[in-house]
Amino acid sequence: MFLVLLSVGMSLVVFSLVLFTYYSVWVIVLPFVDSDHVLHKYFLSREYSVILPGIAAVVLLLCIGAFTAVVMWKNRKPKKVD
Amino acid sequence: MTKLLEWLFGVSFVLVAWAVVSFDLLDLSLPQTYREVAWPMPLYLLVSFGCYSLATVGYRVATFNDCEEAAKELQEQIKEAKEDLRKKGLKM
Repeated sequence: MFLVLLSVGMSLVVFSLVLFTYYSVWVIVLPFVDSDHVLHKYFLSREYSVILPGIAAVVLLLCIGAFTAVVMWKNRKPKKVD
Repeated sequence: MTKLLEWLFGVSFVLVAWAVVSFDLLDLSLPQTYREVAWPMPLYLLVSFGCYSLATVGYRVATFNDCEEAAKELQEQIKEAKEDLRKKGLKM
């Protein structure tokens, strides 16, 4: 069981490190690099660096809303008839 | 000055500084690359805070440890409590 915890935890850490490094290079380093450098091939155009987190935030809010709706639907109690 | 007011002042100061640099409100004519870097800064800070939170959660999940002694001690205390209640007449 600890192996599962370790692998899940470590993969979260590695994923967040990779994401942070990629996003940092995308936002901060790329504007200072010449436009004919080979590094630009690995990154989408910079507008996407704003659009993609926006889409991710919308998806996250949708998931939270859907989860809340499902839980509230399951817990609904039918009204008693007097 | 309340903490809320302090935070609001700090946040609005940072926001004003960001707006002045990004949208060239004071006509300082900074080089284009600096403006290009400054403009997504609020979003970048949000994303890096999210990454930091995710990494902290992941690290704490990975280093979560068993506490053998605490588990044993808890079992002992449960036994003691059951005995005590049985003596006082509670049927278990």
